Amino acid sequence: MIRIRSGAASALDNPQLQKNMSAVIRTALHSRDNSVAEVANWETLRQYAHDVKEHTLARLDSYLEQLEERVVEQGGKVVWVENGEEALSFITRLAHEKNMTKVVKSKTMLGEEIHLNKGLEAAHIEPVETDLGEYIIQLAKETPFHIIAPALHKSRQEVSDLFTEKVNMPPTDDVQQITATARRILRAHFLTARLGITGVNFGVAETGTLVVVENEGNARLSASVPEVHIALMGIEKVIPRAADLSVFLKLLTRSATGQKITSYVNFINGPRRPEELDGPAEFYLVLIDNGRSKILADSFLRQTLACIRCGACLNVCPVYQRIGGHAYGSTYPGPIGAILTPQLLSEEEAPEHPYASSLCGACYETCPVKIEIPHILLKLRERVQRKKNDKASHIPLEKWSMQIWGWGMSSSRRFAWFARLMRAAQGWFLKEKGSRIELPVLNGWTRHRDLPTIPKKSFREVFKPEEKGN
Amino acid sequence: MSRAVVLEKIRRACAASATAGLPDEMPEFPSYEDAASKFRDELEATGGIFFDARSSDELPEILSQILERTGTTEFYWESEEVFQKSAIPYRLRDPEAFSRQHLVFSYHFKGKVEFPLVLNFKPYDRATLAAVPVSVSRAPYGIAETGTIVHSVTPGTGRLLSVLPEAHVVLLSEKDLLMNSVEFLDRTQLGELGSALTLVTGPSRTADIEKTLVLGVHGPRQWYVVLTS
Repeated sequence: MIRIRSGAASALDNPQLQKNMSAVIRTALHSRDNSVAEVANWETLRQYAHDVKEHTLARLDSYLEQLEERVVEQGGKVVWVENGEEALSFITRLAHEKNMTKVVKSKTMLGEEIHLNKGLEAAHIEPVETDLGEYIIQLAKETPFHIIAPALHKSRQEVSDLFTEKVNMPPTDDVQQITATARRILRAHFLTARLGITGVNFGVAETGTLVVVENEGNARLSASVPEVHIALMGIEKVIPRAADLSVFLKLLTRSATGQKITSYVNFINGPRRPEELDGPAEFYLVLIDNGRSKILADSFLRQTLACIRCGACLNVCPVYQRIGGHAYGSTYPGPIGAILTPQLLSEEEAPEHPYASSLCGACYETCPVKIEIPHILLKLRERVQRKKNDKASHIPLEKWSMQIWGWGMSSSRRFAWFARLMRAAQGWFLKEKGSRIELPVLNGWTRHRDLPTIPKKSFREVFKPEEKGN
Repeated sequence: MSRAVVLEKIRRACAASATAGLPDEMPEFPSYEDAASKFRDELEATGGIFFDARSSDELPEILSQILERTGTTEFYWESEEVFQKSAIPYRLRDPEAFSRQHLVFSYHFKGKVEFPLVLNFKPYDRATLAAVPVSVSRAPYGIAETGTIVHSVTPGTGRLLSVLPEAHVVLLSEKDLLMNSVEFLDRTQLGELGSALTLVTGPSRTADIEKTLVLGVHGPRQWYVVLTS
């Protein structure tokens, strides 16, 4: 079971982390907001993308078959897998057959989701993360802190220390120099690896094109230098038409980093063709379900799968801003992680995720494909509660107290009587001599919030003598 | 493997889903009176370097400027065709080499550029390309809205020449400059041009450490675009 509470508490108590996070997130928010403000028809684009995704998800089977057909026509192979283990066993078997001992990887959240690196290592295949942020995370033996910026939580000093320790770089606070070190090391890996793995942002059904969006050029290299390229794609990433890429790319890059477009948008149409001078001899598209078809089955929750992984909802979330990405304990953090995790796994495995939100709605406002995250959170909370209620040992304390509360509040006499009772009883719960009450039963609420003491006289009692005096 | 199982699960999950069709009115994308200057502004904003060679036949002069800026003495050309289209006078050191396949065309000079240039040939392989300082290719399209170049792999060319070198030079004809990505996707059937097509906008970049911008992580650190007539 994944717990958020303890991770959140330690993140809140870590001043270095809070400092690293706040400045970077502020920058990210500004870039996104300024970039979106330039687009006069942003709302039209959002709605358009939303409608395309809604339609596609309802007809996912036929679009995936179309995608498969096109990829195969272009000389690629398509492998369908139910879960991470199947994906891993396919990849490791292929690598072993071809005597490949190293993989150059570009950033893929799906790879994180199926614990690709761990699986490769267990099969004695060395995974090399080539995205700078992911490389940092790999050296630090951590998991990504953010969907878009995996090493967002690390200061340049911390990265320098890490490089000094792991790859013998002389200490520096010059980010250029750190980056140059990574370039040199990773270039050598690129030129020797025979297998490359990338993710996929969009799979275009009508043309069999796999689109990979990036800034560094490492996805371009991962898909071009090695003899074999494997692209990992969640089944929800298909879109029907190439023309719609204009809309999706604009929404994605502006939401993710505030860029009008990223440095590279790669369109891959199968392996190297006979008359081309380079490129992989073999291309595999691995279509991964891993719990997605389960989400698809609920026509309301299905919209969770419309996510294009821009990470904008993380940056605006008041919870993510404070507790950061690791506290969630899951591959996907932030609001999208809060709705995706319990659905990909189960409510029992991630019971706290739907509650890691203040329901402020900022995630919905910022989502480029208009996923109703707050409503989904409520629906998932309902599920968690239902599961609890179903247990024989469950004492419905909350239900009873709400019933009593409702009974008390629905009559002014009962309300006044309750208030008198509380006033008389509050002395027992007064914290110190101050103005705060701490109630043992509502501990979770009152520990971090002030419950003011009840005044000696109620409003009505204060008001009455005044009236008489008139 | 699990094709049937996965597909069946998806089919069952989608069954009886009512849905509207795909939206058919593409949202508006901007167009510009002076596409070339929009293209230039956007390209420069991403850290690219723009040269305008539309008015006169100054391409050779621009190329030697670029050589100076990159501190190298050699250009590697994507193909014979691209080189010949650049209208630079040249002669071949080994004319027979033209008949050989998989070659990159290069020329060397030191100091003042003297024409005709003498061309060398180098094989197109990973080791050679990894040592290439500057490569030149021609783009089928440019996109004004974002200052983007379309790079495609066509017969006789490869993916690596434009991504491995420290600097990359792109030649683009003004007639191939499109307003926005909608125009580009209207005109191109993805996959028909080749197995790999990349929209390139600016040098390779990262902001993975403290959101600090650094150019030239894996791809070219310097990116030049020359607009020709």
